[in-house]
Amino acid sequence: MIRQLVTATAAVGLVFSLSACAPDPQTVTNVAPAVSSFQMPPSETVILDNGLTLMLMPQTEVPLITVNAVVRAGSVADHVAGIASITAQSLLLGNKLASKQETELLVDSLGASLNADSGVEGSYIGADFMTKDAEQMLPLLKAVLTGPTFDQTEYSKLLKNKVAALAQAKESPRAVIGAYFNAQLFADHPYGSPSFGDSESLQNMSLQQVRDFYLVHYQPANTALTIAGDFELAEMKAYVEGLFSDWQGAGAVEALAPEPIEAPNSAKVLLVDKPDAIETTFLIGGMGISRDNPDFVGLQVINTILGGRFTSWLNDELRVNSGLTYGARSGFTSFRDGGTFRISTFTKTSTTEEAIDLALATYARLWEQGIDQATLDSAKAYVKGQFPPDYETTGQLSSLMADMYLFDFGPEFINEFEAKVNGLTLAETERLIDSYFPRDNLQYVLIGRADAIQDIAAKYGEVRRVDMQAPGFAR
Amino acid sequence: MKNIALTLITSMMALSVQATTQEDIKSFTLDNGMKILVLEDSSIPNANMYLFWKVGSRNEVPGITGISHFFEHMMFNGSAKFGPKMFDRTMEAAGGANNAYTSENVTVYTNWFPAGAMETIFDLEADRIARLDIDAAMVESERGVVASERTTGLENSNWRVLQEELKGAAFRAHPYSWSVIGHESDIAAWSLEDLREYHSTYYAPNNAVVVIAGDVKLAEVRAMADKYFAPIPAKAPPREIKTLEPEQKGERRVFVKKASVSTPNLMLAYHIPETAHPDHYALDLLAAILGEGKSSRLYQSLVNNQIALGVETYMPESFDPNLFYFYAVAAADTDAAKLEQALLAEIAKVSDTGVTAAELEKVKNLRLMDFYRTLETINGKANTIGTFELFMGSYGKLFSAPEEYNKVTPQDIQRVASQYFIRANRTVGVLAAEEELDQ
Repeated sequence: MIRQLVTATAAVGLVFSLSACAPDPQTVTNVAPAVSSFQMPPSETVILDNGLTLMLMPQTEVPLITVNAVVRAGSVADHVAGIASITAQSLLLGNKLASKQETELLVDSLGASLNADSGVEGSYIGADFMTKDAEQMLPLLKAVLTGPTFDQTEYSKLLKNKVAALAQAKESPRAVIGAYFNAQLFADHPYGSPSFGDSESLQNMSLQQVRDFYLVHYQPANTALTIAGDFELAEMKAYVEGLFSDWQGAGAVEALAPEPIEAPNSAKVLLVDKPDAIETTFLIGGMGISRDNPDFVGLQVINTILGGRFTSWLNDELRVNSGLTYGARSGFTSFRDGGTFRISTFTKTSTTEEAIDLALATYARLWEQGIDQATLDSAKAYVKGQFPPDYETTGQLSSLMADMYLFDFGPEFINEFEAKVNGLTLAETERLIDSYFPRDNLQYVLIGRADAIQDIAAKYGEVRRVDMQAPGFAR
Repeated sequence: MKNIALTLITSMMALSVQATTQEDIKSFTLDNGMKILVLEDSSIPNANMYLFWKVGSRNEVPGITGISHFFEHMMFNGSAKFGPKMFDRTMEAAGGANNAYTSENVTVYTNWFPAGAMETIFDLEADRIARLDIDAAMVESERGVVASERTTGLENSNWRVLQEELKGAAFRAHPYSWSVIGHESDIAAWSLEDLREYHSTYYAPNNAVVVIAGDVKLAEVRAMADKYFAPIPAKAPPREIKTLEPEQKGERRVFVKKASVSTPNLMLAYHIPETAHPDHYALDLLAAILGEGKSSRLYQSLVNNQIALGVETYMPESFDPNLFYFYAVAAADTDAAKLEQALLAEIAKVSDTGVTAAELEKVKNLRLMDFYRTLETINGKANTIGTFELFMGSYGKLFSAPEEYNKVTPQDIQRVASQYFIRANRTVGVLAAEEELDQ
């Protein structure tokens, strides 16, 4: 039993528009300038002749290395829901070096880990191992990435397993409410499609479709290798360059043009019926911001006040003052071309209306009351104080570099973070609240006992009722 | 085992790592009995303070089940100097954050902060340890919070639903019988007096171990401990837990019905000794051989063969003899009985034919990776140092653990499997949408 739920918001994304190739190997060395007290550790970025981007960051805390191969092809590139995710996972079903079974045995024997999946904007093959095993694990990672054998028998097993796992995920409202929300908010836009697919899309997905997706997207000019950990930079760079230099893509990298995103024009409620529910789980929100928004950091500070920490307004009202819930939060999730803003909490069925009304009244304080200097100062201190532990491990640093590649930002995000936080004024908070927090046409998802709460749901907007056990996520 | 990290590096590529060693941890004990462990680590400009209290659901009795966990919540709700809400407000304004957890054995408070805010953290902690002010109104709103915590756990976690029932069957005498969150009726019923007595009994400095890790200096930690913690008086040690669970004499079974469960969930649990017992290392490696990684026996036989969607093993840290858990979720066309038989067959194979040297080597490497992962963050270090101090009797055992694992032989693994994984020592729990009909 813990005091508060800790939720991790993973915003992963994709950029299709970056340069497909570079004429010569390019090296950018990042040496940390003295701007703020916490700086990104030195790193180096190289683009190889075949277009593959290498990002290297030595760390000496423990004799471990984390590598991510990140490919600019997430669920946003899905033409069938879930194909980016299934393609990534299919890479683990055997490769030119080793069968599925042999791969799994080798990885476990070294105490290492190897995994693959996709997010919204990118696909990832990640490995975690002891430095002494680098010359076994890196060639294996290369074989997984560049030489998958796509075994039909194993593929059929994978699909069957994933369909069953989706049914299982629907046993937990918390596990799937985000997929319903994205479907409700983005409708037909690719951001409305669940990264993990749905039971119908997966059932009909052929191995040929997966092979085709792989050939189009898994190309060196569309991929970065982000390596953080215990290695000597020049030696690792030379080794990886040699290892991956013969990887050639199947053709030109296809750049997807972003599709226009339409903001909702009326308040809507998606009511997901779970007949044995003992509580109502709900999200309220709307459009957020893209990852490259210049106000990304400022909004993080304001959200901290609203719903990003224990003393936030939402948690204070819904948990501490009223005892309606174990926790209430809010947050932005950003993709390349857009994003979401959501308030999230849960309460017993009988207090559903009270909790939604209180969440809305608390949210309205952003406009009706605004933020005072003491609260802003506290939030700034909190955001700065909690920032360094987000970039402590080789896994976190490898993921940071993967995000830098996908979203095209540099070390200035880390190095100027503190200065950006410090620079946020009260006047600025008003501008950010008015510009970015969705105020009208809010979108709701309620998962609970529909018969008990459907009249309440109708108070907030036009209600669409679906059965939780129905396939998909009401897109 | 000093410098274990350095001895393992053979690769040309390695830099010289600076992994923590036992000598990096300094320890002192205040006159009031509070033990403080300090690890200086300037890898990031942050620090933490973990306070481990030797009180958990094992210290409860029927009528006040769940009070340890409830108390964990009440420790944030006001003390003499920092009234209601001020603990969190003061900490967050100083850039700090906190959480806390309660288990069957311990209650742990975790503070994470920029290193410069350490004195604020000492001030906040000392005030609530020495001068907690339990406010009746706060108790009532916190009851709602904990009831919601209980409900959301049951709504979202099948493990939680099944484990609560299974523990009740596996233990009939020892307080591990009930869940940490407690019975719903007890959450509604405990009194202000129960809470005051609980604080007075268990929140004594001589019942705590404090770990501070991060960008701090031993001398400044010592000075602040002397100023803030040393004046808090020691108390008589709490009553010992004397109940021993009687030996189980035959298999026990429980069934739980939940309509929204798509395929049956199965939990098996066998009684095993406490964490400090010499068999711990062999059991822990056995847990990994059976249930960790895709090459593990259970993954290969159950998941690869499409009998289960997933399978895992779990062995909680424990002061008293506790349970070794197996958990599996059935694949789409598998019934609970078939899943159970397949799981039991794999467990029996270890007792019958043992494990290979290669399998053992593999999981020793897994544990070595875990060890390094633990040492990668200041939070991992603080939590693990404290956990070893309490459950293994000494934080030093963290650093001798790789050696202890190395000593385990295939014969040890077969012996512990044969000794503990027997039918009479087992409780079986099934969670499914429909109960099987009588034949």
